[in-house]
Amino acid sequence: MRLRDYLKDRLPAFLTGAVTWLLVLIFLYTFHVSAEACVIVTGIALAGACIAESWEFLRKKPFYDNLLQQTEQLDRKYLLHEMIEEPAFFEGKVLCDVLRESDKSMCEQIAQYRRETEAFRDYIELWVHEIKLPVASLQLISHNDGNAKYAEQINRIDAYIENVLYYTRSETAEKDYIIKPVPLQRVFTDTALKHRTELQERNITLHTENLNVQVMTDSKWLGFIFGQLISNSIKYQASEITVSAEDTPEQTVLRFRDNGIGIPPHDLPSIFEKSFTGENGRTHAKSTGMGLYIVKKLCDKLGHSISAESEQGNYTEIRIVFGKNDLYAGNLSKM
Amino acid sequence: MKKILIIEDDRVLSEELARLLQSAGYEAERITEFSGVAAQMQKADADLILLDINLPEISGETLLQEFRRKSNTPVIMLTSRTTEIDEVLSMSCGADDYITKPYNPTILLLRISAVLKRSGSSGSGVQQYGEIVVSTVRGSLTCGKREQILTKNEMIIFQLLLERRGEIVTRDDLMTALWDNDEFVNDNALSVNISRLRGKLAELGFPDAIETRKKQGYLLK
Repeated sequence: MRLRDYLKDRLPAFLTGAVTWLLVLIFLYTFHVSAEACVIVTGIALAGACIAESWEFLRKKPFYDNLLQQTEQLDRKYLLHEMIEEPAFFEGKVLCDVLRESDKSMCEQIAQYRRETEAFRDYIELWVHEIKLPVASLQLISHNDGNAKYAEQINRIDAYIENVLYYTRSETAEKDYIIKPVPLQRVFTDTALKHRTELQERNITLHTENLNVQVMTDSKWLGFIFGQLISNSIKYQASEITVSAEDTPEQTVLRFRDNGIGIPPHDLPSIFEKSFTGENGRTHAKSTGMGLYIVKKLCDKLGHSISAESEQGNYTEIRIVFGKNDLYAGNLSKM
Repeated sequence: MKKILIIEDDRVLSEELARLLQSAGYEAERITEFSGVAAQMQKADADLILLDINLPEISGETLLQEFRRKSNTPVIMLTSRTTEIDEVLSMSCGADDYITKPYNPTILLLRISAVLKRSGSSGSGVQQYGEIVVSTVRGSLTCGKREQILTKNEMIIFQLLLERRGEIVTRDDLMTALWDNDEFVNDNALSVNISRLRGKLAELGFPDAIETRKKQGYLLK
């Protein structure tokens, strides 16, 4: 709280005081009070007013200063009430009471939404477990009856189910992953196996280079990420996919490169945004704009950085950087 | 014939699993009454157990922990739970492998045979086909003094055919086995590999060892 602001705020009071004092002076003058007496009385009144105003100012300043500073610094501003002390003056007390009430109601609201999201998420997880049973049965029936036509559609259903599952997982705050050393090659091979028929039908060749490294991640989540990238390559007409890793003491960089139609330069910065479909999504394949968004969210949660590079009509390369934690680095090299 | 015990409370799934295993040449036994599963598990005397995690009354993990105190029979956990946490938990309870539903049937069969092979005592890496000695360690076929070196792909193909000798192995099965070993071959490459393998077998004096069954697959006589 600056002095100028305070004085400006008090201006009406000062003006009223000045006018009142002028009337008092006129009154004194009509009663022939001497000029000296008038000056002395004015001096006393002025001094009194100055002391009162200074005291008022100094008493409020620390409270408001603290209030403004906390508001600026706080990440969750609705917790402001917890951060300030109740002052001695009336307005401050009222403000604190009001803040306390409104913060409390805000926290209750947030807690309620959190409970609802959690319940929703739990239900989705449960539902996914349930729906996977008939899908698994269908897959076996189709295999046992030797009807491969069904298998592809069943795989599609399974892929959509996984999307829902990982979308909910990426959106909620709960931690349900484990970061541990994961062999890149194994995870990629498992995912490739899942998509084998699709890849072979479209004559897409896979190459892997230097994938015999371990990275710190959650293998299930990484498998889902690989699955999304493979689906994208299939969707955008790649005929070759090369997955390689570069291992340095600080980090492992994974490159997932395909020779598909590529991404137009003006779309490239937005591909990880929610519901972004872009030119390719509109003209080439049905796109929901969710795949890469979920991938990015999962990477963020796992602490991997992800970026994309592309030349239209030539290639698309997705890079994922896996950090190495010093704490685990020793164990990793021993494995 | 290897006997596999299926502990799965979803009836259709359990039946279809049994069908799959029987057609792959295993003896399949299903548990249908889930009270006292632990005792049935012991009594069955199976070579391998497929165990669902979500069972009525008891969790698969608890069941497995108890079972492990008395038996070393390999167990593969089947589950629709998909988090890494579940997998780590299962493995720490003593599971030999962990497969999530829905499973690719071919991969499931591959995993089963891999687990059976690991638990069996044939750890020497040497198998026989007629007079041919198959050494996976050396990657070679030896017949008397003649020796043929197989590529990794040819060895994977030959091993699968040998494992299911006398049965038809589909191209799909072969492809899955190759991909499972990080060899992402295509249709043409598979044909080339098979004809090279035939050539090498012919050199050793077995020109007609691999029979082609039209639209079905291959059979090692």
